[in-house]
Amino acid sequence: MQRRTLIKTLTCLGVVSALPFLSATSFAASSHAVSVDDLPELTGELTLYLGRGEGGLYEDVLNAIKKRNPKLKLRIRRGPTAALANSIMAEAKAGVRQADLFWAVDSGTIGQIVGEGLAKELPSDLTSQLQSNFRFSNWAPISGRIRTLPYNPTRVSVDKIPDDIMALPDSDLSIAWAPAYASFQSFITAMRMLEGDKATTQWLKAMNKKAKKYAGELGVVMAVERGEVDLGLANHYYTLRLKSGKPDANLALAFSKNDAGCLVNVSGVLALSENKTASDFIRYLLSKEVQTYLSGEAYEIPLAGQLPPPTGIPSLTDISPPEIDLTKLADIRATLVLMRNAGVL
Amino acid sequence: MIHRITRWPLSYSFSLVIAFLAFVPVIILITLASDSAQMFDARNLDILSNTLLLMFFTALGSVAIGVPLALILTYVHLPWQRFWLILFASPLALPSYLGAFTFYAAFGGGGEIASLLGVTTPEVKGLFGSSLTMVLYTYPFVLLSTRSALNSLDASQVYAARTLGMSLLPSIWFVVLPRIRNAIAGGALLASMYALSDFGTPAIMGLTTFTSEIYVEYNAFGLSQAAMLSLQLLVVVALILYMESKVKVNQERPGQHLTLWFNHWQTKLLILGTLPVVIMAILLPLGVFSLWLWRDGLEYFDVQYAINSLYVSLLAALVTVIFALPLAYAATKGRVGRILERITFIGFGIPGIVMGTALVYAGLQLPFLYQTLALLILAYVLRFLPLAVGTIRSSTENLEGSLANAARVLGASPKEVYQRITLPLTMRGVVAGAALVFLEVMRELPATLLLGPIEFETLSTYLWRVYEAGYFGRAAIPGLLLFFFSALGLAIMFSTERWGNIVSNEGASR
Repeated sequence: MQRRTLIKTLTCLGVVSALPFLSATSFAASSHAVSVDDLPELTGELTLYLGRGEGGLYEDVLNAIKKRNPKLKLRIRRGPTAALANSIMAEAKAGVRQADLFWAVDSGTIGQIVGEGLAKELPSDLTSQLQSNFRFSNWAPISGRIRTLPYNPTRVSVDKIPDDIMALPDSDLSIAWAPAYASFQSFITAMRMLEGDKATTQWLKAMNKKAKKYAGELGVVMAVERGEVDLGLANHYYTLRLKSGKPDANLALAFSKNDAGCLVNVSGVLALSENKTASDFIRYLLSKEVQTYLSGEAYEIPLAGQLPPPTGIPSLTDISPPEIDLTKLADIRATLVLMRNAGVL
Repeated sequence: MIHRITRWPLSYSFSLVIAFLAFVPVIILITLASDSAQMFDARNLDILSNTLLLMFFTALGSVAIGVPLALILTYVHLPWQRFWLILFASPLALPSYLGAFTFYAAFGGGGEIASLLGVTTPEVKGLFGSSLTMVLYTYPFVLLSTRSALNSLDASQVYAARTLGMSLLPSIWFVVLPRIRNAIAGGALLASMYALSDFGTPAIMGLTTFTSEIYVEYNAFGLSQAAMLSLQLLVVVALILYMESKVKVNQERPGQHLTLWFNHWQTKLLILGTLPVVIMAILLPLGVFSLWLWRDGLEYFDVQYAINSLYVSLLAALVTVIFALPLAYAATKGRVGRILERITFIGFGIPGIVMGTALVYAGLQLPFLYQTLALLILAYVLRFLPLAVGTIRSSTENLEGSLANAARVLGASPKEVYQRITLPLTMRGVVAGAALVFLEVMRELPATLLLGPIEFETLSTYLWRVYEAGYFGRAAIPGLLLFFFSALGLAIMFSTERWGNIVSNEGASR
């Protein structure tokens, strides 16, 4: 599948360069930030499936886009990312298409939809706005996040934290986690790919004995800060957000090395209908303004237009994330079965 | 004139269609589940045991609270007797997920109580939390069924026992309780039925039961996995309903009434001892929502949620009553009618989450219905039809036959009899039925969650989203509004004064 996508992308690029008039000059293929001022106005009706906004910040983005494009009628269905992905697949099977766009908080779910062949090809001048290792032909990553180990420096010193995620259950640290959260599940999928199903099951079972379960990862980070536990498993931005509201919070970030524990994952969007408004909508999400907002307010890592990462995290080059093809995190179902059988879900 | 012995009344035809509709969800679930690979595994055993434990503790707890309260409220002479009765019955009107939500947020380290008073309370979640919540909101089933049994009891035997030297408590234990055993069992079964089919409470408390797991499976794996669990749940439901139908409440001839006169401080102590129940079930949730309102304000609340709730509830109440009228009428006409009426009672036993699962699939097969308000309304109608039929029926029971026959003898056509006699006389029941359906729809959560059209957020679904996202403060207004509407429902329940009916209807409608 990977090879085919690559070839498709190449062909697409080839066509575009052969017929230069096809690539609109205003968003010519460059990885420089595009301002919303240079984007066409959105008109008509769009239905967006939104895989649950992160703290209402995605809602702010959508509201800003709506405000800027009064002729756009945007209908939004909200729900957990995995549930919406199931709906999209069931709708496709039954031949009732509802969604034009799907904004998911996790690339595994996107890979699932892409794997079903439901995602439409995006214009190559759009995907080329993204950093080169985040270019895909039929979906667009919006923002990046790193798996981290937030810890409470008053309870544990950083040298006590293992830099191997697999060694975590053997440590004597108390741990908080949120296994129902989609990003966590993608992390488990990554672990399955790197360490195998057997080791992952053992890890889950061992962790399940000692870890305290929370509904979401903001809860995890808050529990670490309160000192209920020594260490948590969470996306990086929860820590940064909490610290922005409470600068003296007892919270710091640790990273594991070259394993699933420091996976770099993305939220992303894909188009389910061949529709210019839909792809133009994605351009808005990749615009300088939205990307700057997501990094400044949501502390997510901007992926389009070479903007700087949020303050407070090391740059992507300073950590050692595992080498994993993000679209291969699509095997969520097997992950869920494995987590269920381990008694975690 | 030709004398027709057997005639197929028009109302039968309507009823037949509606009865068929009531069967549809079950058929859909069977079709859907046949796709599912896993029939039963170790995981299901966990779910089953959690569900059964929750039911067991709910039944046990509701008897432990409901029976003593019923004894006090029936036998002890209290000032403002009726006030206490309504107060102690009132948790019945509240959806238990409101309680679960606020308990979850209030207790534990970092909970509202800890941050407000600095006292760390133990966490309320899991099996303990779910059982506690269920008991607090279902004990009125036992209270009301026990009380009505106590009222019909002849107290002469208690007096005899006391005269022969038995003290009060043993005489209640040995003379009263054995005679109301069935009523208590009936109430406890209703309570455990509620625990079995409620979705919000175990989901919020993080307990894996059938209902909460159906939602998890629906989200993670899709419809067919959810359908398999739904069918398993329906089997348990059927068992409970069967047990319930076997419980016969025996009627005694009315006789002497027992009244206990306690002195002043004893009465006070008695009331003080029972108040914690009300404080937990009503004042705590009310307090937490008010706290959130005070802290977070009105900013995030969109009036549209309330308008949507009102709109869909009104519409559902209207349609349900229109569907219920021919059924209630047919049931008075003969055996076939009664059978058809009985069939629509299936809706009673189908928990909301199961109904949602079935109808989502129905929508996918019939694209013109998918994600429409019509499908959501259909779900409500199928779920709450028995509630409306029951209320309308109870108002027609006393006019069965004679008046209508008199009119017929005097030359009125069946149509005229219906318009001029039957309908006006059932109006009271129609309005009460519509009101009950209206309020049930208002509070319904799981089916609305699954079937709500795009951009159609109601009070209860918004409350759920806020819970999932962790922005508890924003639940203040929808929470308080749901409280208000529940209080309205309570008022209606008590004004119709048909306790037994209402209790059994309420119980099975969840």
